[in-house]
Amino acid sequence: MQVIIFRKGIFMGDFGGLGIFFAIALIFPVMALIPAFLLQPRQPTKEKGIPYECGVDTVGKTYVQYRIGYFLYALIFVVFDIETVFLYPWAVRFGQLGLFALLEMFVFVGILAMGLWYAWKKGALSWK
Amino acid sequence: MNDLILSLHRLIDMGMTMAEELGTPEIILAAVFYVFAGISVLGALGVVLGRNIVHSALCLTASFIGIGCLYIFLSADFLGAVQFLVYGGAVAILIVMAIMLTRREDMAHSNPSRSIPHQLAALVVAGMFLLAMAAVALMSPFQTAPADIGDTVTGIADLMLTKYVLPFEIVAVLLLIAMIGAIILAKGVDES
Amino acid sequence: MNFLAIGTEIAIALLMLIVLAADLLLPKDVSHRRIGVISMVGLAVILVYTFGQYHIGASPTFFGGLFFVDNYALFFKQLFIIGMLFTILFSLEYTEKLLRYRGEFYVLLLSALLGMCVMASANDFITTFVGLELMTVSFYILVGARMTSEDSSEAAVKYLIVGAASTAVMLYGMSLVYGAAGSLVFSEVCRNIHLFYAAGLAGVIMVIIGFFFKLSVIPFHMWAPDVYQGAPTPVTALLAMGSKAAGIAVFMRILYTAFPILGNFWLPLLAGFAALCMIGGNIMAIRQTDIKRMLAYSSIAQAGYMMVGMAAADLAGMKAVLFYAMLYVFANLGAFAVLTVIDTERGGTSRRDITGLAQAAPLLAAVMTISLLSMAGIPPTAGFAGKLYLFTAVVERGYLWLAFVGFVMSMISVYYYLMVAKAMYRDLTPEEAEYAAPVYVPLTVRAAVLVSVFATLGLGICPEWLASLTNAAVQTFMR
Repeated sequence: MQVIIFRKGIFMGDFGGLGIFFAIALIFPVMALIPAFLLQPRQPTKEKGIPYECGVDTVGKTYVQYRIGYFLYALIFVVFDIETVFLYPWAVRFGQLGLFALLEMFVFVGILAMGLWYAWKKGALSWK
Repeated sequence: MNDLILSLHRLIDMGMTMAEELGTPEIILAAVFYVFAGISVLGALGVVLGRNIVHSALCLTASFIGIGCLYIFLSADFLGAVQFLVYGGAVAILIVMAIMLTRREDMAHSNPSRSIPHQLAALVVAGMFLLAMAAVALMSPFQTAPADIGDTVTGIADLMLTKYVLPFEIVAVLLLIAMIGAIILAKGVDES
Repeated sequence: MNFLAIGTEIAIALLMLIVLAADLLLPKDVSHRRIGVISMVGLAVILVYTFGQYHIGASPTFFGGLFFVDNYALFFKQLFIIGMLFTILFSLEYTEKLLRYRGEFYVLLLSALLGMCVMASANDFITTFVGLELMTVSFYILVGARMTSEDSSEAAVKYLIVGAASTAVMLYGMSLVYGAAGSLVFSEVCRNIHLFYAAGLAGVIMVIIGFFFKLSVIPFHMWAPDVYQGAPTPVTALLAMGSKAAGIAVFMRILYTAFPILGNFWLPLLAGFAALCMIGGNIMAIRQTDIKRMLAYSSIAQAGYMMVGMAAADLAGMKAVLFYAMLYVFANLGAFAVLTVIDTERGGTSRRDITGLAQAAPLLAAVMTISLLSMAGIPPTAGFAGKLYLFTAVVERGYLWLAFVGFVMSMISVYYYLMVAKAMYRDLTPEEAEYAAPVYVPLTVRAAVLVSVFATLGLGICPEWLASLTNAAVQTFMR
């Protein structure tokens, strides 16, 4: 048997089915949470109110200042994330586009490899 | 028995064709659109109006995701995927990390709301822009693209690697420069 | 596939990668002057190469007209390369003494140059946008390159925020134009009647506003003074001549090839904003005491003069704009070379810092005066010839009032330019005796300022030299 609503043409093609899947998937946690919310006995204590941090009592302020090192990693991550965006269409089509597209992508990746070399050499990747 | 199943399948296929001819009911399309548009607009409003800057960052992510859903709704599935990957993922992380870099005791009032004149000015400007854009949208006869434009990645790849090869390579240089700039600005702060 | 057409861009990109590799391979504590020298030699070779690309017949294109290497583009590319070459020359000392990331500084300069060259040749909105972004992103970083200076960081943040906002406006405009006209290529957009619909008009207006931001046209100028003042002095020089000229190059191409059918809409707009720039820029410059800030307002006025030529919208107007852009580069080179030395030696660029420069460094004081007089348009400097071309071009098109405004405002500008000269040449009081001590002027700066002065005076006396080049440049525009 086929499930009809997953077929293309109805409800925005492939993504329509995905949408319905998400909608139904959303119902289950809500169904579990709402009765629990309605039925639970409420006896708040200070101990219960503190944030859960692996079972150990929390120490200090919730918000602390992070080191710039984390941020540097995030920045480099974004650059290579965007590189993926450009690599993906090429990977889909490089069989048809042939040698020239391959060379183009080598140039593209080569330029970005210089960036990686730079980051490496300047110690942006090392953790101090 | 076999005949029965055959005719059942024929009926199912017939139903498919009928449904395809009917298409999706307009009301469902409209509902889906308004849900996604609502997520993006409310998210954007939350960014501006939120008192806590961490909540603003979360609202921004919600807005990004709403826009990504809109792209997919418009059959631009590659663009939608990019929106999720880059904005919903990387940029959201970057913004939260940037917030965590700042030093402050309490996040409750980290995104201070402006005085009444400021808010009024913002409202007037936003309203004027909205009116102008609405007028533009209503007054121009936009041509509508065919409903099913198929696979967008192939088209993007073909254009990007043939016609737009120069901008494509320049983007690589742009990314390289962005990386170098990020490193020297961030390390410059670190060392001084 | 015509790779020769993008030869300049490939060469600049290669040079940039070589400089980056050299910076990575060089030990950290060694002088980075040799990297600057490598960049200058490379740029000089590329400059000579671009002269060989001038042509009479059809212009070479890359990928079916998306990238147009006509003489017009070549002229602007040479302008950028000259500006960059001499900026590197006079800032060698400054870079070595005041900047922490010296190798990267050269890399970023070259990438900004690459962006400008791409913009000059771009014939579609995507190429334009990518080139523009490469240039501005490089400049965001360059403006903040003085890590120890708070002004520099503040300027970088301001530039980033305003720049990003203006980019968003421009991009929105481009997408509306695409929606209306169904194409991103200038020559195809031009033929589309749908440009007259509301979406097309809104798109065109937004693109124009985006460029007004980039050119710091009044009333979109509020970022310019702070950014110009806070940026490292050589970067300010490049913002004033390179970034502005690149904006004008692509703005003019877009207006003349993508939106000519809307000429009746944007021509009066252009004339009005040109007048606003000339009046506002010159009047606001009078009150400034920091010379970099004064030159920021002056550059707003200079953009106004160049827009006068654009409002003429004919070959004579284009020639005048090209001529003016080039002479403005030489005037800027002289003025900013002097300011760079002052900034390095005396740690500031206010009017007080240049006091007594005539005694401390007579050459620099003379160069500064000549460069500023060229900006004001006093004969026999090149500025006079440039303004003459601009105003005659626009008068022939019937904008007599615009030429009149330009003339009166040039006269007013003489006042604040001469205030600088007065500060340099006036007699020192006994308390100011320290300002008479000789200032160290490196040989490289001497070379740069001499070239700029010879060019400024030479083009003032014999404008035909450059005029024949601008003539060749406009003759093959989009052909």
